[in-house]
Amino acid sequence: MTPGGLGNLSLAFAGLFTVVGLLAALLAWYNRDARYLLVAKRAALLAFLGTLGAFVALEWALLSDDFSVLYVARNSTRANPTWVKFATLWAALEGSILLWALLQTLYTWLAGIRSRDYWTSPVVLTTLFVIQLFFLANVIFVINPFITIPNPPADGPGPNPLLQNHWMMAVHPILMYLGFVGLSVPFAFAIAAMVTRRYQTWIAETKWWLIIAWGFLTAAIYAGGWWSYEVLGWGGYWGWDPVENASFIPWLLATAFLHTAMVQERRGLFRTWNFALVTLAFAATVFGTFLTRSGVIESVHAFAGGPVGPIFLGFLLAILAVGFFLLGRISSEVRDAGTVVPLSREGLLLYGALVLMTMAFVVILGTLFPLLVEAFNGAKVSVGAPFFNQLFVPLGLLMLLLMGLGPVLPWRSADSETLRVVFWMAIALVLGSALGLVVGWTLWVSLTVGFVLYNLVALCWLAFRPIRRRSLVTGEGFLKTAAKVFEQSRRRYGGYTVHLGVIVAVLAIAFSQSYRLDVQKTLAIGEAWKAGGRTITVHTLRALREPYRNSVVADVEISGIGVAHPRLNYYRTSRTPFAAPAVRYTWNKDYYLVLQAYDQKGGEWVTLRLVVTPLVLWLWISAAIIIFGTLLIVWPETARAHVAAAVSEGAEA
Amino acid sequence: MRTKYLVGFLVIMAAIAYLAWGGLGKSLVYYVLPSEYADNPQKYQGKRVRLGGLVKEGSVQFNPKTLQLKFIITDGVVEIPVEHEGTPPELFKDNQGVVVEGKFAGKVFHGDNLLIKHSESYKPPQQGAKLKPEEVRKLLEEAK
Repeated sequence: MTPGGLGNLSLAFAGLFTVVGLLAALLAWYNRDARYLLVAKRAALLAFLGTLGAFVALEWALLSDDFSVLYVARNSTRANPTWVKFATLWAALEGSILLWALLQTLYTWLAGIRSRDYWTSPVVLTTLFVIQLFFLANVIFVINPFITIPNPPADGPGPNPLLQNHWMMAVHPILMYLGFVGLSVPFAFAIAAMVTRRYQTWIAETKWWLIIAWGFLTAAIYAGGWWSYEVLGWGGYWGWDPVENASFIPWLLATAFLHTAMVQERRGLFRTWNFALVTLAFAATVFGTFLTRSGVIESVHAFAGGPVGPIFLGFLLAILAVGFFLLGRISSEVRDAGTVVPLSREGLLLYGALVLMTMAFVVILGTLFPLLVEAFNGAKVSVGAPFFNQLFVPLGLLMLLLMGLGPVLPWRSADSETLRVVFWMAIALVLGSALGLVVGWTLWVSLTVGFVLYNLVALCWLAFRPIRRRSLVTGEGFLKTAAKVFEQSRRRYGGYTVHLGVIVAVLAIAFSQSYRLDVQKTLAIGEAWKAGGRTITVHTLRALREPYRNSVVADVEISGIGVAHPRLNYYRTSRTPFAAPAVRYTWNKDYYLVLQAYDQKGGEWVTLRLVVTPLVLWLWISAAIIIFGTLLIVWPETARAHVAAAVSEGAEA
Repeated sequence: MRTKYLVGFLVIMAAIAYLAWGGLGKSLVYYVLPSEYADNPQKYQGKRVRLGGLVKEGSVQFNPKTLQLKFIITDGVVEIPVEHEGTPPELFKDNQGVVVEGKFAGKVFHGDNLLIKHSESYKPPQQGAKLKPEEVRKLLEEAK
């Protein structure tokens, strides 16, 4: 059997069981018969195994250099190292949609296992099977990677060299798809809740799935930023590129939902909001895919336009239509029972969600604006980073204000104890900003520093107050109490940890965007260059031969840090060399060296670009903090801790 | 109660709209060919512009010591001198399609970002062949 044959057979198998599962789920819904549900869950497993088979088949073709398979012939090459061949599966359109389908079937299967509710499960599975069928149909009929070529070439061109330059490229897309596809499960739960008219219970289960997807999305956005920084060689981690925006929009909407969902869990408010936000967040993932895979937007990482543009646009419209049609049908039933007190936790959560949605709107506007202008007057324009920065700085500060205050305020109304901590937070804000201005930072950076301190005061108070209160009552030592309190409200502390990570990230972004040194110089070998507070010396320039590429490497010493090796990689299939920058981090600044050019005749000089950026290391640290916090939230609880937590939450509410 | 929220919402939306459209007007970067610039030079004076065209044959001067790059960008009709600081990309050469981002200062264009427009199927125009602006635009757009 050939890889192509196995692939097509597996896809047919997966498609068949998706249809079976869909029919069984529908029957379970119409006949109210749980036996069909069992069939649907089993079909979900079989469909997953089918797409897994297709995935394995394509990997088999890639790893065995089977150039009779169209996808391999177009995107792979013999000389590549094994890990690049493996990652080539998601380096182009067809393979990446196959990966999408694989993860979709995985999520459908897992959602089936976890979903035990007699009423909603059939609808959840129906929705997921429909989405899964859409992707499988695309892989089978529209962009099939397993098409065989009658006269296979001896070798292929290989994937885009930029994708071969860093191992992160093997990780980032998978994380991104895990996040994107993961949002389909909350969407399915929302649809099920609206169809079955059970408007409250879906929130708890959905939130768990959404935090999982959110965590993957966050990790993926960070990984993309890291790749951009360490590979692309322009010295930045975020460029407001349409593809970056495409991942940021669902992230913003999902974040907004996480917060309004808390209000619904606690107070039963914002039901309409929550249905709308989940629908929008999932639609945004498809919107992003449409933007980046259809060729409507020019971008550094858009894949070549194929026939999928209109198909995804149709799918996007279908999602929005179904979501909002159902919401319209039930809107009179989900009106909020209570009112929102403006200065209470739910009030601030609402404002926070509004700010996040505004941010999402700004990103969509900036991404689509060039298309609008071209449609109206034919002028070709692009929207640069200044537009986004101008709006995101004030919106971000507003977000920081709400982020500190929201968790401090109690539900429903404010009391005197919280007023005291708010007073201290205000002091921290003023002191921090004033300190920044005295040191000579810009107004925006100073304000950011002030708000970061303000948030830190709030987080410290939130973290330590329950511990102190309890140790006063029980008389136990601080550490022992802290361990107990933490075990009982691990999810809450997870949330605080995520907030801490966001604060660290904001600080790193403010400084790295505001204070950057970017210089270039041509240096003779052995010449010393004083720049950015260090002495930079080029010791040697050497050529390096690897099986799949040739490189020119400069050994550059940065005084007090060590030797860095910026290089230019020459890939066989590309006429342009790719600069691989060398980054050396220190706790407050990092030194980023790019080999721009070198003396091709005698090797006597090199042109170096040096970018010194503050606090980028802390951006990566913030990623670790956020991921850790997310894990604290989603990690399954032991039964005993679960009961204890429920008791203590009940006592506090 | 409802109207209060509605008014608040409208005020917020108006503020955002003001910021957004004001910001957009200022931070829009126009993409033009030299002859489009020549039609209406006042419109682009002092604004950020992406200037697309071909590198004129024999016009490139580059000093690797000072990193000063000078060349002439053309679309077959209008020629504009460009000054750019920094090493040109590897594929930068005569007749290559390029896009330079920067600002006009008088007659000279000061670039700060130089992009090569090339695709694997790119064929440079023949020596001495005169291209029309539409052909240049097509050439630049086909190359990713």
